[in-house]
Amino acid sequence: MAPILLWLIMVLCLLISVMKYLMGLILRLTFHGTGIRKDYTYQPKVSVLMPCFNEGRTVYQTIESISKCNYPSESFEVIAQDDCSVDDSYEWMLKAQRDFTNISIRVGRNEFNCGKARTVCNALEHSSAEVIISIDSDCIFHPDAIRELTACFAEPGIGSVGGRVGVSNPNDSIITAIQTMIYYSAFELYKMPENWTRSVCCISGCLFAIRRELLLEIEPAIRARNWFGIPVNQGEDRFLTHQTLLRGYGTYINNDALCWTTVPNTLSVLFKQQLRWRRSIVRDFFFTMRTLPQHVWKLHPNTVLTLVLQPLGALVALLVVVTMLTSDPLAWAGPTPLVVYLGIAAALSWAIKKYSVRETLQHPLAFGAYIAWSLASTLFITPLALCTMDSADWGTRTKEQQEVAVGHAGS
Amino acid sequence: MPAVDTSHTQVKARAQRQSLAQKSVITVYRIFAIAVLYAVLAGVFAYAFVMGFYALNSTWAAPIILSSYDEKSLDFMQKLVISRQTIEDLKVDVTRQQSTLAEMTRQRAALVALDPELQTAIVREREHDQLTGPQLVALDAQKQADNTKTKAMLVQIHQLETQIKSDLASGLITKGDAATQLAALNQAEGAYTDSKIADVLLSDTVIDKTTIGTKALDVLEKQAELRSEIAQLDITVSVAEKQLAEDTRQVDRLRDAISTAKQSPYYLNASGSKRLYFAFVPYDNQANAKPGSAIYDCYLNMVLCRKVGTVKQVFLGEEVISHPIFKTQVRGLTILMDLSHPESAKSQTVFLGRKPMLF
Repeated sequence: MAPILLWLIMVLCLLISVMKYLMGLILRLTFHGTGIRKDYTYQPKVSVLMPCFNEGRTVYQTIESISKCNYPSESFEVIAQDDCSVDDSYEWMLKAQRDFTNISIRVGRNEFNCGKARTVCNALEHSSAEVIISIDSDCIFHPDAIRELTACFAEPGIGSVGGRVGVSNPNDSIITAIQTMIYYSAFELYKMPENWTRSVCCISGCLFAIRRELLLEIEPAIRARNWFGIPVNQGEDRFLTHQTLLRGYGTYINNDALCWTTVPNTLSVLFKQQLRWRRSIVRDFFFTMRTLPQHVWKLHPNTVLTLVLQPLGALVALLVVVTMLTSDPLAWAGPTPLVVYLGIAAALSWAIKKYSVRETLQHPLAFGAYIAWSLASTLFITPLALCTMDSADWGTRTKEQQEVAVGHAGS
Repeated sequence: MPAVDTSHTQVKARAQRQSLAQKSVITVYRIFAIAVLYAVLAGVFAYAFVMGFYALNSTWAAPIILSSYDEKSLDFMQKLVISRQTIEDLKVDVTRQQSTLAEMTRQRAALVALDPELQTAIVREREHDQLTGPQLVALDAQKQADNTKTKAMLVQIHQLETQIKSDLASGLITKGDAATQLAALNQAEGAYTDSKIADVLLSDTVIDKTTIGTKALDVLEKQAELRSEIAQLDITVSVAEKQLAEDTRQVDRLRDAISTAKQSPYYLNASGSKRLYFAFVPYDNQANAKPGSAIYDCYLNMVLCRKVGTVKQVFLGEEVISHPIFKTQVRGLTILMDLSHPESAKSQTVFLGRKPMLF
């Protein structure tokens, strides 16, 4: 009975996922932008909060890209907050403050290392803008990114808006090629149905815009996040999105608001990143289970399905894969999965080449390796995430990084 | 102030209790998590080892427990019963065909014997006709000449009748004499008519003797029918002989098949009263599948092995089963095991010839 139930849940999760991708495709082909009402004349004051930890020179390049944005300079400011980096990130921030005088840049530093979520809250204390945009300090932003994000707040009821995250290093390795396809399909297809119902369940922290009053309302919850007394500083983007939805606001991803991130190009870094994300998903699932009875009637059914089935699918997939490997170990090695993955790879790489030239892949068929990664990911990351819920380690930012002289900045 | 202090103390105590509870939960969680992670790690290594082991090892065999109710055994027995029934039916057919064939052979012999007799009769009759025919022709000519003469005499007799009637009228003769003379004249006319009839009949006889008439044709037709009947019998006998030979061969073939089938594990399983232990051996391990080879059973299907019996018999018929670990299709053959530890028949795998890992 139990295996049948597992398979049923797994099939349901897969079915929902496939349906979402198909619906995303239909929506993309029929309703461009899924119907959001953008008003580019709406130009509220914006604070771009940039928490930073051990980013080094990248933080300078990030601020440089923001300084080139097409948004009235008097209407926005950058608040860069360093979370006690052990490298020269803070110096790079100060240098950016000196170099990019066309915009208002405020640089601050935490008293102690407290994680990204609380660093955002600390930066928020210095802001008075109507719209808060939280960004990652390792991203490069399109000049229209801020304009595109704020334009979406013209639609009443929208609480948070996210941007589309592209991959700046798609051809570094097979690993980056795979991630490029996953990022592209996630933003351009998977999140489309959620966009349609204004119920995106996770807006990426790379580019996250939120109404000030909403963030202030959520801030105490962010600061209070803990897991049996251990502060939680991961998955703030998922948490913020979830909180936005629970408060009755809509969430949306504007794929015209672009930013580019450097994705992990080694297996170990990717593993750590995925582990952090999986922990967030699991944590959010527990949070969902706790809060769903109260909120189930005010959330959109699409939201409920996504909030419940996506993490449930990750958990059940582990059991299904274990069952599969013990009962029929070579099933995954057959030609069918490979052909399916290669077919998906061919279609996606064609779409990327056509619609996102910057991310064009040199070796699109590398996506075939996703079979191995998805197996390893399901087998190891989920149990590891379940067993390391007490970990506060970000994973992909080494603290032992050597400081670099700032004299080379901008060179 | 004391009330505030009390409240503050209570809050502090509550916080301490909560902190302690949380620390306890975390401690338990960490212990549990470490145990789970090590278990996962051990599971993964064990899994990888088992996969590697079975990818490289080729001495394994998979015990098969066959019951009398086993589908294949039942199917096998059903086919065996049908084959036996077919043999019995064929034997009855053969006996019937043999007796029919004998009867037909006898009938043919009788018919064949009749044919020369008929032929002899025909020849004899033809020879006789050839002899008597010309004689009858001559007699017929003579008869015709006699009749011509008689006819001339009858003209004279008619004149004599007129003379008699005239003599009677003139009273030269008595009525009695006249009647006697007239009767004699009638007799002569009657004799002439008989002679003509005899002439006609003689002509018929001459025709019969000198030409082929319907009577002869009837005889020839009967001869042809006789020969046709013999030919048909020849065909029928030939077909019956072929059928008989084929049925006899079929019986032999079925007997051979049954004889071979009796060497099948399914027959042995279904027909024997003793519990038998079989195992599937992949072709990779065929070299070890010979009577007398040692059989080892191991813990965790690979370590701490012990000898549990020997190979008793090897069945050459091909079997295809799913690999016990990889679940892929594997071809091989079946062996009969002589087990000193019958519980090993329930193991997922056993090993032939030697221990797989030297211990």
